[in-house]
Amino acid sequence: MFHIALKGILGRKARLILTSLAVILGTSFLAGTSVFSDTLNRTFDNLFSDVFKNVDAYVRSTQVIEAGFGLEERQRITADIVSLVEKVPGVQDASPDIQAFARIIGKDGKPLGSDGQGPPTFGSIGEEFTGALWSTAEGKWPVGPTEVAIDEASAKAGKYIIGDTVKVVAQSGSREFTLVGIASYGDVRSPGGATFALFDSVTASEFLTKPGYIDAILVSGDGSISDTKLSEAIQAALPSTAKTETLTGAQITAETQDQIGSALDFFGILLKTFSFIALGVGCFVIYNVFSISAAQRQRENALLRAIGASRKQITRAMLIEAIVVGLFGSIVGLIAGIGLSVSLSALLRAVNIDIPSGGLVVSQNTVTSTVIIGLIVTVLSAILPARRAGKVPPLAAMRATALEIAEPGRKRLYAGLLSIALGIAIIVAVVAGASNNYLGIGILFVFIGTIVLGPIIARPVALFLGRPAARFRGITGVMARQNSARNPKRTSRTASPVLIGVALVAAVTALAASIKGQIDDVFTAQFKGDYAISTDVRGFGGLSPSLAVDLNELPQVEKATGFGFLTVKIDGKGQYVTTIDPATVDGVFDIGLINAKYSDLTTDSIFLSESYSLRKNLPMESTVTITLGDATERELTVRGLYEFDELAGNFVVNRAMIAKSSVVNFDVGVYIVAKAGIPDGEVQAALDKAVKKYGQGELLTKQEYINKQSGQVNQLLGLIYGLLLLSIIIAFVGIIITLLLSVFERQRELGLLRAVGMTRSQVRTTVRWESVITSLLGAVLGIILGIGLGWIIVFTLKDQGLTSFKLPIIPTIVILVMSFIVGLFAAIYPAWRATRVNILDALNTN
Amino acid sequence: MTPQTTTIAASAISATKVYGSGDDAVYALRDVSVDFYEGQFTAIMGPSGSGKSTLMHCIAGLDELSSGSAIIDGTDLSTLKDKELTELRREKIGFVFQSYNLVPTLTANENIRLPLMLGNNKGDEVWIQKVIDTVHLQDRLTHRPSELSGGQQQRVAVARALASQPRIIFADEPTGNLDSITGAEILTFMRKAVDDLGQTIVMVTHDPVAAAYADRIIFLADGHVVNEMTEPTADRVLDLMKSIGH
Repeated sequence: MFHIALKGILGRKARLILTSLAVILGTSFLAGTSVFSDTLNRTFDNLFSDVFKNVDAYVRSTQVIEAGFGLEERQRITADIVSLVEKVPGVQDASPDIQAFARIIGKDGKPLGSDGQGPPTFGSIGEEFTGALWSTAEGKWPVGPTEVAIDEASAKAGKYIIGDTVKVVAQSGSREFTLVGIASYGDVRSPGGATFALFDSVTASEFLTKPGYIDAILVSGDGSISDTKLSEAIQAALPSTAKTETLTGAQITAETQDQIGSALDFFGILLKTFSFIALGVGCFVIYNVFSISAAQRQRENALLRAIGASRKQITRAMLIEAIVVGLFGSIVGLIAGIGLSVSLSALLRAVNIDIPSGGLVVSQNTVTSTVIIGLIVTVLSAILPARRAGKVPPLAAMRATALEIAEPGRKRLYAGLLSIALGIAIIVAVVAGASNNYLGIGILFVFIGTIVLGPIIARPVALFLGRPAARFRGITGVMARQNSARNPKRTSRTASPVLIGVALVAAVTALAASIKGQIDDVFTAQFKGDYAISTDVRGFGGLSPSLAVDLNELPQVEKATGFGFLTVKIDGKGQYVTTIDPATVDGVFDIGLINAKYSDLTTDSIFLSESYSLRKNLPMESTVTITLGDATERELTVRGLYEFDELAGNFVVNRAMIAKSSVVNFDVGVYIVAKAGIPDGEVQAALDKAVKKYGQGELLTKQEYINKQSGQVNQLLGLIYGLLLLSIIIAFVGIIITLLLSVFERQRELGLLRAVGMTRSQVRTTVRWESVITSLLGAVLGIILGIGLGWIIVFTLKDQGLTSFKLPIIPTIVILVMSFIVGLFAAIYPAWRATRVNILDALNTN
Repeated sequence: MTPQTTTIAASAISATKVYGSGDDAVYALRDVSVDFYEGQFTAIMGPSGSGKSTLMHCIAGLDELSSGSAIIDGTDLSTLKDKELTELRREKIGFVFQSYNLVPTLTANENIRLPLMLGNNKGDEVWIQKVIDTVHLQDRLTHRPSELSGGQQQRVAVARALASQPRIIFADEPTGNLDSITGAEILTFMRKAVDDLGQTIVMVTHDPVAAAYADRIIFLADGHVVNEMTEPTADRVLDLMKSIGH
């Protein structure tokens, strides 16, 4: 039987390739994403082991505030500790280290590097240090408050040469320096695409953070004692009031790698999740191809049965075929996946993330897991068709044509309805108050039910969708409509991948539309300015607080107010508090104050959101203790409550509250009200000039600002669409494969039609519309499921403040149009093959 | 049963069909010249491999001649491109095949009108109704082929061939898959189509009984026309077949 199975496979190479195609696509995405994340991981591992290569000990603060989302904010230490460290025996050299936000402004006034999601823009210390990786490629290290060195990549990008004046923006504002050195980092021009502005330690501390403060101390030993001993000796020499800890070089390397590793892991898991969805979609295609191929070989199998093959042998032969297809497909998929990861890396390079190339990492794990998963998925998808193939009665060999039995059974109807009912019951329970954790199960049941019912609903829905084609395309449309409905099992199996892909796209779209709508509403209600200066930087750097001060001095400005976020500890938990300027905030940024005035917010006061105050039982005049980043505490009195907590969060403090601490703070936005009666153009020109001076931030009108805020959702949406594209591609290929097999199966019919006068272009039209109807069938059901799914997700996010569901009408139309186009494109090759059918050959095959 | 007119509906002139070349060349047709007259029921007979099907396929525009020409209604088929040839088949030729004559997804009515619909042509409704009446299909029009018996299916096929009032109908072993009673029924319909409706029919068959329904029989062997008979009867056909070593 093994022999017969192999002969069967090799005898039909075209079918082998078609069947393998789905396996190849599914596994290539799996392999590609895993090679890509392994490569990225190793790249960053190498980068950070380089960073601390010559560092033997590392001194830093013990004070950390967990800020949620896995972010943490470590506080600074005082610069005077450096001299203490230098005196410890065994220390050869100790250098202060600062890595803070700084943005180099190019000669054209535009900041170098990217906003927001790109690699960070750093300000740091450039001094002679034996452990340093930075070296001067040109010029010398900066000395004094007017000199700067920048990394080679930035120098090139900004077209800067030694002696130029360079503008740099940092926390304390923007300043001009003389470029005295161009630095290289190990053997790369800039580490990981980040930009660096380097200063001497005093300037760095004063310009980038606060005078007298540094982030950490890098120590190189003289080799007389081990790194562990050295670290212990340093820690022992430092006063406990300094609140420091000392790590060995190996420890800080491992810790940094871990941090980056977990950030990359998240990315890796995201990629994996979507490649598994794609693989799941691929299962349908594989299942479909095996089913069709079993049906088309029914007579052959019946003949084998008639001459003595057992059921088991027929089934086994088909499973052997599945194993061969699975192995072949996943090996090709693995190779294709490696190619795919190369293009992903190229994509990163295109957006200016220059990762030091160390070659691709194709781990043993990637190879084995890809091949094993590919094999398992293929064999699992083939089990049902193989069993069905075994059940063929020997008599079928004598029958003229016995194609797939199209009548879906009653059992299917009940199973499908039961699954949907169960799913809906679970969802209703969740909506009624059960734990959100059950939601996934409910949704899964509805999906499974819909797919089980597929063959039953495929016929009526396909006939309905095909109505316009039948009406407007004459007999070709009529035939396309009938073809798409003639084998409902096949049609529904072909449409299922489309259904899943479209449902996910529709759900994400509906969710995004609701979030966008919400953001829109919130900003419209709370942002009362005419203009806003916004920055994309999140959590790292931002607008200098002096920008708002400068703007208030402009004659065209009625009022400008800046606000930022600060990480503090309240009740032992990391929290964001909003910092505002009580003198200017009124009438520009509305937080819905209740029975209070902004002027009540003195430096020893705090405003709480009404809901937080109720929840924590903190009424007016009660006391809230907050711990700042530098471990100092502040006792603040509640002097006001407010209603709108969507933007401000639960806590609002006076920005001047931190004045006497080592904590630095940026504004994330400045809201501006223009003076009445001054033409827009003049106001904008004046604001624009002020913003340009700082180099950082973008001037936006009220509407632009609101659109930008809600538009941020689009970036995430884009990423998810990109990842779902994998599934859509597989669905697309699934339609092509099914159409090709159907065309092959209908050769005689096609021959007859050509004989009685169907032109080639009419043949193409028929195949094309059949494809479109199938694709639309999946899309329509997918949209219904997806929007339902989106609604449920929005509903469960009610607690997170998402209150209104918005129907994404235009995106839905776009999805339908796209599905239409996908159908058209999928039909191109099968339609061409259909026109190539030789009339005589087709008529003579009996 | 003499031909009412001598107008030529289709003809083959020095038709030759070769498969392969050089020493391996196999001749399916060798220099065959034959005319088919309008309003006549012609049968082409011959043993298998005699070239009878090839001759029909070439004249009907389903296959190409290696040399010589096939002419339908005055048009040399070799001068036509695929699209023109397709349209010619649609408008001027009707087909009845041995089996698998109908499109399974279309109703009997749609199958009958298929060539017309493909040409976006409404056709002559009076004529179509007459054809449907002639083949007794009035109560089967909304049925799909799978719901029809073999004989009914062939009647639909004959109706389809007639519906567009083609210049000529080609039938390839139309009764090959039917029992003798149903076969006789179909042949009677075809005979009626010639006598009552004035159609031209060319039928390929190896069955002397079927051939006896024709006005004229052309005998082929080894790619040549070897004999011809008019006003045949089954017995005369059998005798002739014996005499030419069939």
